[in-house]
Amino acid sequence: MDPVPLQSADWQFIFDNAEYLLFGTVVTILLTLSSLTLGFLAGFPAGAIEVYGSGWLRDLVSTVGVLLRGTPIVVLIFLFHFGLPIPRLWTVEVLDQELFQLGVFVSATLALGLRSGAYQAQVFRGAIQSIGEGQMEAARSVGLSKLQAIRHIVFPQAIRRSVPGFQNEFTIVLKDTSVAFAIGLAELLTRAENLYLQPGRDTAAVEVILAISAIYFVLTFATNRALDHLEDVYAVPGGTE
Amino acid sequence: MTSESDMNRRAYLATVGAAGVTGVAGCLGGNGDGDGTGNGNGNESGNGDGDGTEVIVPGTASGFPPFEYTENGELVGFDIELAEEVITRAGYEVGDWVDIEFESLTPSLLNEELDLVAAAMTINEERAQQIAFTDPYYEANQAVLVPSGGDFQPEAESDLEGRVVGAQSSTTGEDEVDRLIEEGVVDEGDYRQYDNYTLAVQDLENGNVDAIVIDIPVANNFSDSRDVEVAFTIETGEEYGLGMRQDDDRIQDVNDALAEVQEDGTYEELVSKYFDQSDE
Repeated sequence: MDPVPLQSADWQFIFDNAEYLLFGTVVTILLTLSSLTLGFLAGFPAGAIEVYGSGWLRDLVSTVGVLLRGTPIVVLIFLFHFGLPIPRLWTVEVLDQELFQLGVFVSATLALGLRSGAYQAQVFRGAIQSIGEGQMEAARSVGLSKLQAIRHIVFPQAIRRSVPGFQNEFTIVLKDTSVAFAIGLAELLTRAENLYLQPGRDTAAVEVILAISAIYFVLTFATNRALDHLEDVYAVPGGTE
Repeated sequence: MTSESDMNRRAYLATVGAAGVTGVAGCLGGNGDGDGTGNGNGNESGNGDGDGTEVIVPGTASGFPPFEYTENGELVGFDIELAEEVITRAGYEVGDWVDIEFESLTPSLLNEELDLVAAAMTINEERAQQIAFTDPYYEANQAVLVPSGGDFQPEAESDLEGRVVGAQSSTTGEDEVDRLIEEGVVDEGDYRQYDNYTLAVQDLENGNVDAIVIDIPVANNFSDSRDVEVAFTIETGEEYGLGMRQDDDRIQDVNDALAEVQEDGTYEELVSKYFDQSDE
């Protein structure tokens, strides 16, 4: 068999549907942002609790983390959607185009966000533990309370060291948003499949997949570059650790 | 710790979620290889406004042309038009379509996110334990697709021996391949599973599989647009039905409307609109 010819008509078809794919991209970006935000809000304190917490609270946090990290994302998304009584709420529309049902979006955010939180907790835990014990002791000896020391000495350094791990997490969440179609959220990949699954349009499958791969790449590349830049700007001046 | 109570609430939610695992898992076992425990979860919602609503929310899994697919952002297809016609004639209002993965349709139906499944769903015992089906509206016979003009021209199931065969997961086509595996015709290692039939046909054209098993109307669509042809058909005796909840008594009205649509020629119009493609 000869390789699949890339036909110009199929590229034309993609350009004709650019707006449709763009809306899918918007859904993907929104879901990535909401999930990462929830993941950060849950993961940062969770990471701190795993390092500084005590007794039952710490056990609880680490158990929940293990459960979330050990469950496949498709199963999680099903659980949150079918297991929790999340109402469908209302439909979010842009320019008369239906983007998504808010209830479905909330379920997807919970699943992706809490799982991301469990992973981010480990990123932050590693970062916090990488700040030398001596710094904590020094901070306490100049009269800071434990909380103050965490807030002013450990946290600013740990957050900087978390950037590479966070970049990783962003990339994973971005690409995992595509599982949200399991509960009917039409993001970029779903919309792409809708395009080439039309009768007579199946010749465009390869071209459509190439097109959305490019979109995912641009999103990943741009965000990672932005985070690299952020890391440079906020790097601790001086020393080359 | 400022966020202590927050953490607790999240942990609580996660725990509640985990408690739901078994229940949901029960629903999820609704397709595939016949290990259905059929606990069905007895989804009796007692919200009491079930009879007052005049809306039936239909659901489907697009990406199965010509039954259901998306064109210019709109959901179209044989099932889509048929369901809308039937719901309207039964005296109800058509709600907003829910478009979701095929595997999610049954849980969503039981969850009352949708009221009626129109997704080329084959009536089988396993599904009938969980949901109610209307009278059948389509015969789901299968076609065996092979590359056009190739060396491999099977004429019967036995010709598939030792060949690589593909199908879309959770479809009647897959059930047929499973049957061929059980009968020893096809080796288990020679089965290729796809997320959708477009990718399966792509692989067939590329020579990665020798044949795929697929619904006849869908097969005819592909043989018009791609370099593939129907080698022979398999009479499965299986039929498609519209799915509803077992406690939904509106199913009688839907059945009456379905009979009416089939008798007055509307059904035929839809068939010729979506399936009768001239052989170009």
